[in-house]
Amino acid sequence: MKKKVLSLLLAATMVFSLAACGSSSKKSSSDSENVATAVNTDTSTLYVNLASEPDYLDPALNTSVDGACLAVNSFVGLLTYDESGELTPALAESMPEVSEDETTYTVHMIESKWSDGTELTANDFVYSWNRAIAEETASDYAYLFDVVARNEDGTLAVTADDDYTLTIHLNAPCPYFNQLLAFPIFMPVPQAAVEAANPDGTTPGAWCQEAGFVSNGAFTLSEWKHNESMTYVKNDNFYNADKVELEKLNYMLSADNTATYAAYNSGDLDFIDDVPTDEIPSVSGNDEFNVVDQLGTYYVAFNVGSDLFDGMTSDQASAFREAISLLIDRDYIVETVGQTGQVAADSFIPEGMEDGNGEAYESSYYDADATGAESTEDAVKLLEKAGCEVEDNGNGTYTTTLNGETISIPYILNENDGHKKIAQCIQQDLAAVGIEMTIEVEDWNVFLEERKDGNFTFAREGWVADYDDPVNMLEIFSSASGNDDPQLGKTDSAAAPEWTAYDELIQQIYAETDSAKRAELLHQAEDMLMDTYAVIPIYFYNDIYMQKSNVTGVYATVFGNKYFMYAHKTAE
Amino acid sequence: MNKRSIYKRNNKFMRSILERECESKLLKYIGKRVLLAIVSILIVSAITFFAMNAIPGGPFNKEKATDPAVQAELEARYNLDKPVPTQYVLYMGKLIHGDWGVSLKTGREIWPDITSKFAVSAKLGISAMIVATIFGIVLGSIAALTRNKWPDRLIVFFTTLGTAMPSFVLATLLLLLFCLQLKWIPVYNSANPNYVLPIIALSVYPMAYITRLTKTSMLDALNQDYVRTAKAKGVSRLKLIFVHALRNALIPVITYLGPQIAYILTGSMVIENIFTIGGLGSAFVTSITNRDYTTIMAVTIFLAILMVVANLITDICYKLTDPRIDFNN
Repeated sequence: MKKKVLSLLLAATMVFSLAACGSSSKKSSSDSENVATAVNTDTSTLYVNLASEPDYLDPALNTSVDGACLAVNSFVGLLTYDESGELTPALAESMPEVSEDETTYTVHMIESKWSDGTELTANDFVYSWNRAIAEETASDYAYLFDVVARNEDGTLAVTADDDYTLTIHLNAPCPYFNQLLAFPIFMPVPQAAVEAANPDGTTPGAWCQEAGFVSNGAFTLSEWKHNESMTYVKNDNFYNADKVELEKLNYMLSADNTATYAAYNSGDLDFIDDVPTDEIPSVSGNDEFNVVDQLGTYYVAFNVGSDLFDGMTSDQASAFREAISLLIDRDYIVETVGQTGQVAADSFIPEGMEDGNGEAYESSYYDADATGAESTEDAVKLLEKAGCEVEDNGNGTYTTTLNGETISIPYILNENDGHKKIAQCIQQDLAAVGIEMTIEVEDWNVFLEERKDGNFTFAREGWVADYDDPVNMLEIFSSASGNDDPQLGKTDSAAAPEWTAYDELIQQIYAETDSAKRAELLHQAEDMLMDTYAVIPIYFYNDIYMQKSNVTGVYATVFGNKYFMYAHKTAE
Repeated sequence: MNKRSIYKRNNKFMRSILERECESKLLKYIGKRVLLAIVSILIVSAITFFAMNAIPGGPFNKEKATDPAVQAELEARYNLDKPVPTQYVLYMGKLIHGDWGVSLKTGREIWPDITSKFAVSAKLGISAMIVATIFGIVLGSIAALTRNKWPDRLIVFFTTLGTAMPSFVLATLLLLLFCLQLKWIPVYNSANPNYVLPIIALSVYPMAYITRLTKTSMLDALNQDYVRTAKAKGVSRLKLIFVHALRNALIPVITYLGPQIAYILTGSMVIENIFTIGGLGSAFVTSITNRDYTTIMAVTIFLAILMVVANLITDICYKLTDPRIDFNN
């Protein structure tokens, strides 16, 4: 009897605690829908969450988007972006003077200082850029300097004509070179400090591993509690310090979006760069919820050397992959998983990119809104072209076999709710023609390695551009690239497309001096890539963040960088 | 000199001999254990080193692939281009000289990083263990003394709940209740981090466990003959419980506390992530995800040392609470 009472009591508590979980989450979502969340009234400090602990604060060594956000707020280069997303002079007096053949850039610099008060001159740029490409620095983004010509000794053809004039020689015209001048790796670093902390050349990033290092941006790091928080204070030597109202910029270092979302709701944070997927529907109508453009594409990729295509010709394999592309209902994925108004992709180059010739780059390879069930018949024809036997089951579904066997495609992805849901959508779409897709969730690190090494058949992919030019999206598929996950040009499989022409095309784009011709070559390259359907674009990324109603003046670029220095915060 | 004083002197003499013998036994025992500890740490380090190199993935894998030339430069810098056994020998050679190396992920010196993170985890862990031990013993004793009455029932109910609820559920509930609903504690405050909630979240499970252990062993002790004898001799109830019964009842608690302290000092990734605490727990897990080999090794060896020391201290504490335990066995 006593046991019975006790077990009943326990059961009641469990029900109660479950109910408590349910009602509390409901409460918070309805809160955010109707009422503005609690506001932080400390107007001199902006409280922000971007991500967890950054790997490197050195602008030459950083590789992550959140690290780039830290860099643009604590360092500044010759150019920067303004709130409308346009390039604007920073340490340059005006936009660079470009020679007629577009290979020589002359930059006149303003007089400015490092945070420790020493002068920042053209020589700082000559040093910083040569240091960025040095082998011992081992910077991932060093390749961005490939457009700059080299001297005989291997150093960059960049000279300081006087303290405030910099001349840069390029190998060929580079329509996006001004954008590079605003990229973190092109920002200056303080030579004395960098060298003092790296006596034997094995610790290139050591100079900025703790708070107190010299920088030249709007803020300098004053306190770093590892894995907890970073506090930046205003740098009075920043060239535009008069416009900076904030005294401090505080970053919460956390990647747990339940915690950061809670901190935002409680008013402990003013800005969060991520919202838990389940909360998006409840906040999407909120004024504090912002969706901004981003240049990038979410896609899935086939390994062109996979066993799946054994026995097919290269055309057949492409037809098979095109069929898969047609079967994927992109609108459904965007509406149910993406949820923030992403655009269904009909090309690999994202919407909004420029063609390097002053025009918007436009391309379309299929009607993205018509993919899915509507395109099943077309997909069936393509599958037949690929050599599959397709049987109509009569109820709108089909059974597809290849050499008498059911087709099963293993799909790999990393652990993430959104990726998993997209995988399930694709799985269902393929089931309509009787193709089985198995979902294999892998550890992040293993996933990256398997993709890179071509140990997969079908995989989740994504690419956010570093600068606004299609070549940044296209060069990753040249066979020399470490990012050529589809293994184009890397496999001897008879079903793989011939790829030397693509590699040559990319080289041609690098060297082309006529920008109209160059834009044409870019289109040719994308046509060639999309012909293979080794990459299947799903949607174009956009970027979400939440910002309190009492904060204005924060802006983001299409590369995901957030500029906090000109934020204006009121008490209510 | 009368008989009595001779007896007294002999007795003193005998005791000092016994004590010295005991002391030397203890020292011998400690020496033996330290040697064993070094061997275990060596074994742990070798297993970890070869296992982490055997699993797929590498420290320089990134979404945007590392340039092959850059990768080659980094691998040469950190000796990763050499055969694994050579790497192990090189690593241990450096370690013996006190060089824990730098993180492959951030290039930052590992030793200061570990010590500062350990300080945070230890502060939290020790506070949580103190809370858990005090409340656990008190609640356990109350439950034993009020067996089958309502305080006992209530305690049993909450300890069952405490052992059954996963820490991430408890931590999230605490966050919702105290930070968002009641607004007593900020979710995030970088200047003055509030450790009350993480301490509660960390201590609930060991507290529930200690309560149950204390209750069981207390009941056991209360039924022992010596307690009955003491009771018959008219020892007061309080003295009976706290001096006679509790001392024996604590032995299983100490057994539990030793490894548990080592475990709790190493930090909990879940709780550190939810409450944004830079402790050792999340550092360990992240280092494995990143295949940050040098950090994995350093944290593992550090934790192994901690574990061995905690076990040794537990065993010595045993001896001090239970004279029946002989160091020779």
